[in-house]
Amino acid sequence: MSRPRTSQTQRGLQAVLTSTFLLVGPTHLTAGPAQDAVIAALAAEAGVSGFSAQTGKAFFQASHSGGKPETPSCTTCHTSDPLAAGRTRVGKPIEPMAVSLSPNRFTDPEKLAKWFRRNCNSVLGRECTTTEQGDVLTYLSSL
Amino acid sequence: MISLISANSAISFPKIAVWDVFVRVFHWSLVLVVCIAALTGFVLDATWFQIHVWAGTASALLIFVRLIWGALGPTYARLGNAVTDPATMIRHTRSLMVGNAPRHIGHNPLAAAMVLAMVAVVFTLGLSGVIVLGGVYKTGPLAFGLTYSTATSVGELHQVIAIGFLVLITLHIAGAIYESRRTRENLPLAMVTGLKENRPGDHVAPHHSAHPVMAGFLVVGALLLAFGAGNNLAARPEYGGLVQQIDVVYQDECAACHMAFHPSLMTGQNWVALMANLPDHFGEDASLSPASQADITAWLTRNAAETADTKPAHVFRDLDQAYPYTFTKAPYWQQTHQNIAPEVFNLAPVFSRANCAACHSDAETGWFYPANITIPQEKSK
Repeated sequence: MSRPRTSQTQRGLQAVLTSTFLLVGPTHLTAGPAQDAVIAALAAEAGVSGFSAQTGKAFFQASHSGGKPETPSCTTCHTSDPLAAGRTRVGKPIEPMAVSLSPNRFTDPEKLAKWFRRNCNSVLGRECTTTEQGDVLTYLSSL
Repeated sequence: MISLISANSAISFPKIAVWDVFVRVFHWSLVLVVCIAALTGFVLDATWFQIHVWAGTASALLIFVRLIWGALGPTYARLGNAVTDPATMIRHTRSLMVGNAPRHIGHNPLAAAMVLAMVAVVFTLGLSGVIVLGGVYKTGPLAFGLTYSTATSVGELHQVIAIGFLVLITLHIAGAIYESRRTRENLPLAMVTGLKENRPGDHVAPHHSAHPVMAGFLVVGALLLAFGAGNNLAARPEYGGLVQQIDVVYQDECAACHMAFHPSLMTGQNWVALMANLPDHFGEDASLSPASQADITAWLTRNAAETADTKPAHVFRDLDQAYPYTFTKAPYWQQTHQNIAPEVFNLAPVFSRANCAACHSDAETGWFYPANITIPQEKSK
């Protein structure tokens, strides 16, 4: 599977923009039009104008209870650094979660719904709310 | 032993050439390849499988060339001369017991019987080996027409004969030591130098001239023929072969998290049970859309273990009732992986017992050929 690489300049620019936005505070951050549309749809569903990358980060990095004991956090498989590759519980590599490194992430609403359904169930023992999903996507799109 | 002989013998006898250079090279080459075959077959693990196959092939080739030399070689290479009827063997044994047995320059009647037995045993081991390779491992010249069940029975025979061969080898060594002491001549050394003492009263075989050119042509001709036929047969599709095209939906959905386990590894019934329980898939929620789930279940059952005749397709047919779709709980899996340290599975680069492909490079094809096993060096996680 080949995935298009983001150029250095593009990534550098993204980093600058990202840090600026993060300093400014909760905002609607996206990495591309496809992610933009997905996040906008979630926002419409939740009835909010935007999501918080900070809240998404905290949610992504936190240890949760209620799920399966083997997977207390998103970071169990994805590692605490979304810019790094993760690993499934049987050792298969997972592409980095950051959209800057995996530009195809969060572009297919069906796929997105499937993975949130499965992984929230494994980690939290429940479905994730639309706001939680939007916050996490905003966080991972901002990196 | 040597010093004993010279101290005791007043006269020294003239030495004559008995074992020609081919017979000597053959003998010690066979010793070498049989040792390798025995070591890789009885002692070492499955990663040595291909060495075992090569050693067995080499043994059979050596025996084949030796048989031709046994018909066309010089006097003491000839096997027809050496072989005697059972009555002569019994007579020789009796005179050994009484203590008045004569010396033979070539093979004595019992030694000749041993030669025949060893030729028969190596030939049978080679043949049964090719049968196992074909029927169980689905490779080699007989893979096109042999079933797993036939070949596994032949495999049991292969093991019994191999143990019998060890007994023969022990008897052969004991016989050589016994005869060396009895006749006060170092027989193993004679198989190195080719020379033996010519003493009065020795049994001498009738002279035969060697026909090395004819023997050479025969060997090369027969080998070319066998090689051609073998390659032709080996090129045919194997019996009960595996589906090679992996379903796209299966690859996409299932292999997102783990290796694409080949459908032939489990029975249709067990695949159905596994696919019905995806929300609790080995402690993970792996639920799918109803459409994908139906597609994948259909493809898996259509290519399940019942449709294949490979070894994995058979050994995982009866899984532990308590774990109807967990290979690693199967008795066969447990037994074949028991000598591998738990760290190898848990640490990088393997990470999990479910990651077959970390060691079996052909795991996703469903073949699991032993020669394709490489256990990686563990790294820090």
